[in-house]
Amino acid sequence: MSRRSHLAAVALACLASACGGARPDDEIRLGATLPLTGKEARAGLMFKNGYTLAVEELNAAGGVMVKAAGRKLPVRLEILDDKSDSTTAVQLAEHLVTVSGVHALLSTYETKLVLAQSVVPERQQIPYVTGGGAASEIFKRDFRWVFGLLSSVEAMAGTFADWLAAEQDGGRLPKPARIALAWENTAHGQDFRNGLEERVSRTPDRFTLVMNESFELNAKDFTPLMLKLKASDADVFLSDTHYPDFILQHKTYLQMGLHHAVVSYGPRGAERTARETLGAGVDHLVSGQWWTPELPYPESKAFVAKYVPKYGEIGGYYPGLAYESVKTMAAAIEAAGTLDREAIRGALESMDRTGAIIPGGRVYFPKKTGFQIDNPSVLVQNMPDGSLRIIYPPDATTGAAVVPIPARATTH
Amino acid sequence: MLFLQVLVFGIILGGVYAVMAYGLGLIYGVMRIVNLAHGAVLMLAAYGAFELHARWSLDPLMSAVLIVPAAYWAGILLFRHVVARVAAGPALEPGQTAAMPVMLLLFGIGLCARNLAYLVWTGDDRTIALSYGLSTIDIGIPVATTRVIVFAIALATTAGLFVVFRHTHFGRSVRAVARDPVAAELSGISVPRVSARAFGAGTALGAFGGVLLATLYVINPEFGGPFLLKSFCIIVLGGMESMPGILAGAMTLGVAETAAGVYGGAAWQDLVSFVLLVLILVARPGGLPSLVRR
Repeated sequence: MSRRSHLAAVALACLASACGGARPDDEIRLGATLPLTGKEARAGLMFKNGYTLAVEELNAAGGVMVKAAGRKLPVRLEILDDKSDSTTAVQLAEHLVTVSGVHALLSTYETKLVLAQSVVPERQQIPYVTGGGAASEIFKRDFRWVFGLLSSVEAMAGTFADWLAAEQDGGRLPKPARIALAWENTAHGQDFRNGLEERVSRTPDRFTLVMNESFELNAKDFTPLMLKLKASDADVFLSDTHYPDFILQHKTYLQMGLHHAVVSYGPRGAERTARETLGAGVDHLVSGQWWTPELPYPESKAFVAKYVPKYGEIGGYYPGLAYESVKTMAAAIEAAGTLDREAIRGALESMDRTGAIIPGGRVYFPKKTGFQIDNPSVLVQNMPDGSLRIIYPPDATTGAAVVPIPARATTH
Repeated sequence: MLFLQVLVFGIILGGVYAVMAYGLGLIYGVMRIVNLAHGAVLMLAAYGAFELHARWSLDPLMSAVLIVPAAYWAGILLFRHVVARVAAGPALEPGQTAAMPVMLLLFGIGLCARNLAYLVWTGDDRTIALSYGLSTIDIGIPVATTRVIVFAIALATTAGLFVVFRHTHFGRSVRAVARDPVAAELSGISVPRVSARAFGAGTALGAFGGVLLATLYVINPEFGGPFLLKSFCIIVLGGMESMPGILAGAMTLGVAETAAGVYGGAAWQDLVSFVLLVLILVARPGGLPSLVRR
């Protein structure tokens, strides 16, 4: 690009920014990029549905009350496709702020994209709520404008430890329990390991780590890992994986005839496609979720009742967190009473909202975690009839956990 | 006992690696280009097996009967109408061969195929659920039936390729073109025709590998990428053009990775491939066969 055309582009961007800033505040403009195409398209579409449903609900009620405007203002949501690409997610977020003139941003989905995109709200000083990124890396940068609705993966590991302790107290697991841990070598996996290691070191009377192994993402052979697992003589096998690795890892686990009192692949295991592939092999797997349609809270059930007839089956936590992201931003705007960015940010920082659809039902952003929510995850266990049973936290359980897992028939 | 397990599982993994690398090795052997679209061939064939299984419950081993010939003809058409045209084009610099433009072309084709897969199948992970997918064969230790099948096919493929290259007119023509295309032309062999058929055969072998790998792994548009890198390591280990060399390279890599995973850590498995690649290029550019020839 020549110097002249570069200057022209800068001038155009400034002009566009100025135009955006001058738009009348007769509506609340929210902006988001989502991976509507590319490898995260499935989750991206569910996020879009969740965002859209929440906005429709707000507008059906007349909008969001903004005290400074003296009335309820309608909400307009602009969603752009970031194509599952970090660079595009950053560029489009900048576009939403400088050209579209949005008052606040909702996030894209997927840790890497959120990690890249979250520099935009910090640079542009605009409130940003994310239900699509959990890695603590996002929140450990002393950012002021980024608020996370997903508890950290470390916290999820802590939830597993709390549940295992409850099972020990119920006499269903030995004390101390011998835990074999495998984790993918990513920010997600490292957070899971950190969370569990911290619990193990804090409660040595309850847990002993007999295996602590990392593996590369999209590995092509888990036989060595399973040979080590077999040799570890563990009671509990916990692994933190992405879906393709979960399928191959658990397939190898089953083929080697392994058995443990508790088996979990972190957030994986509850997928319908996993049962289609591995059949009864997924029975009794325990998985950690940030939200699940099985949650018995009335608010969550009401959301599911509205979502399913309109968009069909819910596969994962995505639409629930998207819906809650919009509701959280709307609550912050209403509490701020103005569309001033700093005021909305202040409302998010001091928020302590109940009646949310996520586990724990409470939305708050503690400063000590870098404004990342610190609720427990919800743990679900696959039942042999194909249903999911919520086994933790205690206020949401839909049945008792099956621990230890019954031995399987061999597959020879 | 653990060492024996490492050896058995490593050799069986080597069989899996061999089937994915044969196609790449054949095309390199004849044309002296690394087919950077090889990963896309594996991926498209895996999706083909998935679709045939999803729609008509066709076992992937049966679907290979349809997919492999289709890939052969697709490879020939691609070569005649696209690759050969670029290969015959003017070199960019004096003395520069057409290898680099052809490799860039194949890289581009691979990217197109991957993005096409996103459009058609989205980024969702797909798997082929087989009735025998979780079953094992007991050979003192339980080994996955699917891996044993793939291993047996890898051995049979090596034997078949050996016979074809030694004892058929096509095989002898391919070897002649690989050794000296000018001399082959002078002796009456149509180099463009043999090259097209070799490219088709390489694509068919790649597709066969893709179908077999689909029985083991989750399928998505990124399916072929890691296999392309590993295949490249294997053909370098195997001496770039020898089919038995590729089998030996694949098995060496399988055992090395399994041993690294067991005695080191799972995180070391992938690193081993690339360390071996660097070591062999520095110390023995001719690969494992050059050790035998010493």
